[in-house]
Amino acid sequence: MAIGAFVALVGFSRSFEQEWLRLYSSSGTDIAVVQKTFLNPSVDVSIEPRLTSVPVVAQVSPMLFNLMDLTPEVNALAFGWRADSYEFGSLTFLSGQRFENGKPQVIIGDALASTLNKKAGESLDIQGSSFTIVGIYRGGTALEAGAVILPLDQLQQLTSLQGKVSGFHVRLRPAPAGEAPDHYLKRAQKEIEAALPGLNAQSASERASNNQFVALAHAVAWGTSSIALLMGVLGIANTMAMSVFERTREIGILRAIGWKSSRIVLLIETEATVLGFAGGILGLFFGWGSLRLLSMLPQTASIVSASMDTGHLLEALGISVVSGILAGAYPAWRGSHLSPVEAIRHD
Amino acid sequence: MTSPLLEVRNLCKSYDEGRIEALRGVDLSITAGEYVAISGPSGSGKSTLLQLLGGLDTATTGEVLFQNAALGSAVNLDTYRARQVGFIFQAFYLLPTLTAIENVQVPMLALDLLPSNRAKRAESLLREMSMVHRLNQYPNQLSAGERQRVAIARALANAPSILMADEPTGNLDSVNSARIMEILIGIQKQRGMTLIIITHENEIACCAPRHIRIRDGRIES
Repeated sequence: MAIGAFVALVGFSRSFEQEWLRLYSSSGTDIAVVQKTFLNPSVDVSIEPRLTSVPVVAQVSPMLFNLMDLTPEVNALAFGWRADSYEFGSLTFLSGQRFENGKPQVIIGDALASTLNKKAGESLDIQGSSFTIVGIYRGGTALEAGAVILPLDQLQQLTSLQGKVSGFHVRLRPAPAGEAPDHYLKRAQKEIEAALPGLNAQSASERASNNQFVALAHAVAWGTSSIALLMGVLGIANTMAMSVFERTREIGILRAIGWKSSRIVLLIETEATVLGFAGGILGLFFGWGSLRLLSMLPQTASIVSASMDTGHLLEALGISVVSGILAGAYPAWRGSHLSPVEAIRHD
Repeated sequence: MTSPLLEVRNLCKSYDEGRIEALRGVDLSITAGEYVAISGPSGSGKSTLLQLLGGLDTATTGEVLFQNAALGSAVNLDTYRARQVGFIFQAFYLLPTLTAIENVQVPMLALDLLPSNRAKRAESLLREMSMVHRLNQYPNQLSAGERQRVAIARALANAPSILMADEPTGNLDSVNSARIMEILIGIQKQRGMTLIIITHENEIACCAPRHIRIRDGRIES
């Protein structure tokens, strides 16, 4: 169960992070310019001209995002873009068209449209304000497919963040010939940060891993699954302790016929490790099943996918093996220190 | 004069924080290749003495010497039990989830022998015990006499220099008792092993070349 919880929770948070990364790469965003401080996540939109004037910068898209309640059961990521943002390039319109700045219009992803059973031309309430759906799009990622995109000024008004944005998405000019892409990216980050002191210029992958939603998801996932893992370790330890107790005489016989304490430790630790590993395999199935379920639920379909990478699977199995070893440590020590003659007399 | 294989000096063993004195200053020496029977009434300390000689327990005071080296300090008890001593119990104490041949191989794991060598040696020992037709039977499928023969084969697994048997015929009928004793004495003679048997049966004790009587934790004769 503990490994299942780890796989599901950490898989969920990593899947969430991957979706953010895909969102940036599908729109061609190279760098996100955001606040350095965690508690003040918004940036003043007035700095845009200074950012645009940095030589490496080709295009800038100020953007705002938040999680909005659309119905009592459904919430969705809401992005605020300008109508001329380059990020529209990653969307394919299935019906309708882009919105216009300043108007109470939205476009929604096809997954969200299906969940809400909405079409272009119908209205959508967002936190008490009514908007017209002017288009339905297919996005490059699950995050976009389940999102609502509205004019930046409209979202600023809804969230009382007039004049503020979550950050700026930046598309860089092509790297000069002969300069390695990694080196160019790092140089671009430094030039932007020099032009805009107090702000961070993060690559897409850095931004994907440390935006507030992802950071919170990681913290909750690891915190919760750590508690579950601790429970799992205690469970195995209890099982092994009972096993050693019930096999006291057997251990005494083994010691009497020549087994060293170290071999007794190896026996018990091997059993605990196998128990942990077997639990890990079961947990993987349980965790994958949970992720699959989450990817089908309307409330979470936009932010989780059921795919798990090999690294995550191996990490989960590794944790289950280590858990088994840790859990078996005390029972193994106890078993190896039993007096042979007292153990043999045990009923 | 040959130096003793096993020697016990002023051996005392007490339990329950000294309230029960199982052995009270026992002195004894046993030479290599000797066959010794130790007898005494119930509670006399004979099993305790054997357990201390076999390295299954440690003395309260006094010492047990193996080839002039003190057990538990100069001689590691685990190594001593693995390589020098073969123990046979009244209740057999075979591992119930292992077959006869697997039970015989268990002590060999302490010496890290190859699996093929272990299996060959185990089969050979069971053949010697006339148990080759029962190699793959579990203990609950064997008679009491057969179980004790498997236990003897197990005790011989690592070619020990000393065979110790605590009431080996205690759970057997007279026919099987005689058979087991015949096997033990035969092994002792063929291999020149030291054999120490605890028994309360006079007919077994009296047949041993050396018979030690113990009472109230002390050697009488």
